[in-house]
Amino acid sequence: MSVLGTVSARPLEPVGSQILSQDGNAMVLSMGPQHPSTHGVLQIMLEIEGESVTKAEPEIGYLHTGIEKSAENLFWTQAQTVIERMDYLAPESNSLCYVLAVEKLLGITDRIPERAKQIRVLIAELTRVASHCVWLGTHGIDLGALSIFFYCFDLRENILDLQESTGGARMHPNYVRIGGVQADLPDGHLERLDALIEKFPARMRELRALLQKNPIWQDRTIDVGVVTPEQAVGWGLTGPSLRASGIAYDVRKAFPYSGYENYEFDVPKRTEGDAYARFVVRLDEMEEAMRIVRQVRKALRPGPTMIDDAKIAPPPKETIALSMEALIHHFKIVSEGFRVPPGDVYQAIESPRGELAYYVVSDGNNKPYRVRTRPPSMYNLQSLKGIAPGNFIADLVVMIGSLDPVFGEVDR
Amino acid sequence: MPPMAGSAIDPPSLRPPIDDAIIERIAPAQLRARLQALKNEGYAMLLDIGAVDYPQRTPRFDVVYHLLKLPPQVATPSEIGTPQRYRLLCGVPVENPMLPTVTDLWLSADWAEREVYDLFGIAFEGHPDLRRIQMPTHWEGHPLRKDYPLRGPARERSPRPAFANKSNLVAGTPPTGRTAQALQEQVARARRAQREGAEDHEAQ
Repeated sequence: MSVLGTVSARPLEPVGSQILSQDGNAMVLSMGPQHPSTHGVLQIMLEIEGESVTKAEPEIGYLHTGIEKSAENLFWTQAQTVIERMDYLAPESNSLCYVLAVEKLLGITDRIPERAKQIRVLIAELTRVASHCVWLGTHGIDLGALSIFFYCFDLRENILDLQESTGGARMHPNYVRIGGVQADLPDGHLERLDALIEKFPARMRELRALLQKNPIWQDRTIDVGVVTPEQAVGWGLTGPSLRASGIAYDVRKAFPYSGYENYEFDVPKRTEGDAYARFVVRLDEMEEAMRIVRQVRKALRPGPTMIDDAKIAPPPKETIALSMEALIHHFKIVSEGFRVPPGDVYQAIESPRGELAYYVVSDGNNKPYRVRTRPPSMYNLQSLKGIAPGNFIADLVVMIGSLDPVFGEVDR
Repeated sequence: MPPMAGSAIDPPSLRPPIDDAIIERIAPAQLRARLQALKNEGYAMLLDIGAVDYPQRTPRFDVVYHLLKLPPQVATPSEIGTPQRYRLLCGVPVENPMLPTVTDLWLSADWAEREVYDLFGIAFEGHPDLRRIQMPTHWEGHPLRKDYPLRGPARERSPRPAFANKSNLVAGTPPTGRTAQALQEQVARARRAQREGAEDHEAQ
């Protein structure tokens, strides 16, 4: 693998006892929290021996905003607004997961209109592509590959345009709602989606051509940050990071939600478990995501996009001027929300980063009693403690990038 | 906060389970042995440890363990199928908020237990590095407890002239024991001190 002729074999095993026993040589180095390659505000306390990392202790919490506490003080629908801000690169997967959990508590999972389910899948998969675009662009920048960033962000911009046309906001459209989606897809949306589907394969070939066979890229990522299947399961890794270690656990296949069982897709997996494997798995995932998008596009049929239940979803705006009941329902839902029967539920979905789940408890009121997140980024990032020792400091940014943490979600 | 009409004191006990997990409730004394047994049964992944605060209930806290029966070896989606989920709820009394750690069984328990400790004040005996994880090191209180004010105790203490009257009238007497009147006096004192300070400055 020594393309440049200067690279020797890297010490992949944890540093042996002969190095650790040299007292007084270890240096403690604080990396971050404002380091450009930490993808946010992450501080890592490093113990280094020369260039090798002997211990890495990530310090998180710099972005803690108390979203779980805020959610307890908002109505069920309002809470979704703050929850969507956890994983700011894939906002719609947060709201989708929360909405599915609340729908289970309400007992309306079977009454969600088919078109709403299809649109949700469509949006979730587009979000996955957009999120992986950001990951790939920034991962490239970390390693000095600048051009890929522009290709990725161009593609992502197309998807954000689509998001903007659905909910009105580029980043946090809040389009998925309890009971369905906020409104039907606007005029012209599907034409733009078709254009994106048309554009995607060529753009994907470019992305692969830029990096996948690039010898420098391979040299930096192959055999760096190796995670064995045992370690991966022990650290609670999920998503692409787990599948790069050979365990093809995907919530969409194992616990299908929102109609994922109707679509055909493969679960990409590699067995090497290094940074390159995680990179390839995510690239493959982008293609699989677009494969699902194409199937949804074909399957889309006209129909209602919101549950027909005025106690949960406000009636259409145009009926307010005509019907007294519609006005009362609208007023009640906006001013005091709706009540959710008491109980607890654990709902998981496959977010771009892994198994994202909400453990939601309701005490029968119009506000969530407790919304506990299972943040995939946090558990993925935690594994850095296990995989960093024995690698070079320069490879640390490769490992952070390949785990793809989002700090809005790690710290909440 | 007084309970609103119709609010349940112990929601998880009221309803048959909605999701497909096996759900079990256990006492703290048996917790470790049970988790050890589950690990040996093949629950190799500890997905999450969360906690919920039920102030009206005894025991007050619930610590919730989510496990997944995922084999730690290379496997295809069809080999994995639908892995079994397991949810273990453990009631923790407020007088002795302490549970045994499981960091030696699952590596992922490390940060999860630190977060429960940080936000709920439930300690884990035997944890190698039990520090706050989200909040600053010297933070006061445990924010996700229900009796913790939304804006935090520091905000609660500092005078906020524009909102003081309104927010305190609406919320009643805050947990810190201050009344709206006391707050207004505090604000008046602060203003007086500021004014006098300015006059002194001018005199000089």
